[in-house]
Amino acid sequence: MVQGLLTTSVGSFPKPAYLLEARNRFAKGAISAEELNQLEKQATREWITFQEEIGVDILVDGEMYRGDMATYFAERLDGFSISGLVRSYGNRYYRKPVAVGDIRWREPISVEMFKYAQSLTDKPVKGMLTGPYTMMDWSFNEHYANREALAMALAEAIHQEAVELENAGAKYIQIDEPAVSTRPEELEIAIKAMAVVTNGLRAHTLTHICYGDFEKIYPRMLDIPVDQIDLEMANSHYDLLDTFRKAKFTKAIGLGVVDVHSHVMESVDEVADGIRRTLEVIPASQIYVDPDCGLKTRTVEEAKDKMRVVVEATKRVKAELN
Amino acid sequence: MLTTVVGNYPKIANRRESDAPKAASATFNPNATSITTATATAGDNTTLPTNLRRALALFDEGKLTADQLKEVQDNITIEVIKEQEAAGLDIITDGHIRWADDQTYIAGKIKGFTLSGLLRYFDSNTYYRQPVADGKLSAAGPILLADYQFAAAHANKPVKVSLDGPYTLARLSKNEHYKSDEDFALALADILNAEAKALLKAGAPIIQFDEPAILRHKGDFALFAKLMARLTADLDQSKLALYTYFGNLDGLDHYFELPFGSFGIDLTDDYGRDSWAWLNFFPKGKTLGLGIVDARNTRLETVAELVAKINELPENIDRSAVQVSPNCGLEFLPRERAQEKLTRMVEAVKSVSR
Repeated sequence: MVQGLLTTSVGSFPKPAYLLEARNRFAKGAISAEELNQLEKQATREWITFQEEIGVDILVDGEMYRGDMATYFAERLDGFSISGLVRSYGNRYYRKPVAVGDIRWREPISVEMFKYAQSLTDKPVKGMLTGPYTMMDWSFNEHYANREALAMALAEAIHQEAVELENAGAKYIQIDEPAVSTRPEELEIAIKAMAVVTNGLRAHTLTHICYGDFEKIYPRMLDIPVDQIDLEMANSHYDLLDTFRKAKFTKAIGLGVVDVHSHVMESVDEVADGIRRTLEVIPASQIYVDPDCGLKTRTVEEAKDKMRVVVEATKRVKAELN
Repeated sequence: MLTTVVGNYPKIANRRESDAPKAASATFNPNATSITTATATAGDNTTLPTNLRRALALFDEGKLTADQLKEVQDNITIEVIKEQEAAGLDIITDGHIRWADDQTYIAGKIKGFTLSGLLRYFDSNTYYRQPVADGKLSAAGPILLADYQFAAAHANKPVKVSLDGPYTLARLSKNEHYKSDEDFALALADILNAEAKALLKAGAPIIQFDEPAILRHKGDFALFAKLMARLTADLDQSKLALYTYFGNLDGLDHYFELPFGSFGIDLTDDYGRDSWAWLNFFPKGKTLGLGIVDARNTRLETVAELVAKINELPENIDRSAVQVSPNCGLEFLPRERAQEKLTRMVEAVKSVSR
């Protein structure tokens, strides 16, 4: 029986229509936090059930409770306020965290929802955090002397949250760092900050990094102190495999095999082919198979179909190896 | 010593729609109460939204006509012109209110470009649609002339025109038509040269080209110099400005020899610490754009801090030929914070000029 090739997903799933509506109503004060929380749990339960039904190995709660991945944590840490609207692109705006005082962990942020999701299944559910480098890069800094000082303060706070998740039973703790590839010259800060986050954890730790200028951060990127790095492979047509041939990929890899930005549905054939090509470079025991990134921008049906393809293709390749 | 901005200005105010001033098309009365509700319908001119975000959403839903959207954009352009003037700036821009981003507004009006997927804009957390050149590039006529004329007609202060230069526009786009990236960038240089010519003829006091990309690809400087020569051919150099940001000038030894009357430099701590030393080599007779206000971070500089920075200027710099500004466009900031930063900047320049 082949070891490895476990299936999982990066974190977010699309919110069902009733939850989107409830979030709007909550923002307008029309429903209570408790009512919203009940619907978030309902949606979480539906996604857990779906993942179990199709046979995913390592589950996520789908982040039904989150808006923005940085703002969600910033709102729950001491030392942050939230800015007025700033533009992301086109007519899309968001509110950005602002570090205005000493950043401190106050109370568990993600633990309640983790426990709830884990209570619904015997399979492991990942604990999901946003990393200190990304939290720093996506915030305004009005308090700390420089970017590194803010990142290191965040690292302490996020470490505390990771410990809480581990104590609550998380076997996998994911600390997302999508911003790491945007300023290659700051990779050292990200490494230093992650060392603080993962210090002493026994759980399998991993980080998700979005596509960027990997030539400038690879292989140094492998020094990020986590067990697994999760990468987008599908939307770059597995170009990174050539890079890994030149300098070995030494960690476990989260292998993104479906493009989350595209409505186009990958076939089981092409995804299985991507996994086989990766096996030429990285052993099965080191590979976790998942979509490129969070699926929240797809429709519920598209997200489900993409997950089915991930699971089916992995099953097929595993059967070949057995 | 004067004050100015680099280009774009935050489009959305963080006040409630009901608090918004009514921006009638020619006059601006901050005390007027709003007539706006979100019920505008096509063909109904009496209830235009005062919030551009809302207006664009209604336009997308087909509930606002193109003319109505333009009227909203006109009104908000006037609003940000008045805001810049109220802050005390000496030279202003139209705020790029009509622009989806700094690349696609220009590229979208050049034949031969199509707009593709979202790409990250430098090291920021903002995105732009990547222009793809899939045919020969040509402009049917001036791209920004009508916008300039509108802004100039509604401003009491000189309005400069700012836009990406050909190198940065080419770098942030994709070339699928020209044999070489150099040919592609040269074609853009020719189009932007004609653009500048038309704007100068219409009376624009300054045409500013933004070239942040060269600071990230310094090995391209020879090509860059060639592009700048083509861009500025037969134009009045004294009215042309070259602005760079998100990096320093280290390694660009011949930068100040480029054919511009004014050079704007990012001198913020995050990017421009190492550019201060280059000011010792700043040529006489040129204008220096001193980018000391950080438009990437909400932290408010104190007046004293800005004064201290201005006083760091080396002896060789003619202070009367300095234009103090943010390091880049202000759209990374919430509107109110941008305003506060400008007010403090003006205060600092006033206090050193006293």
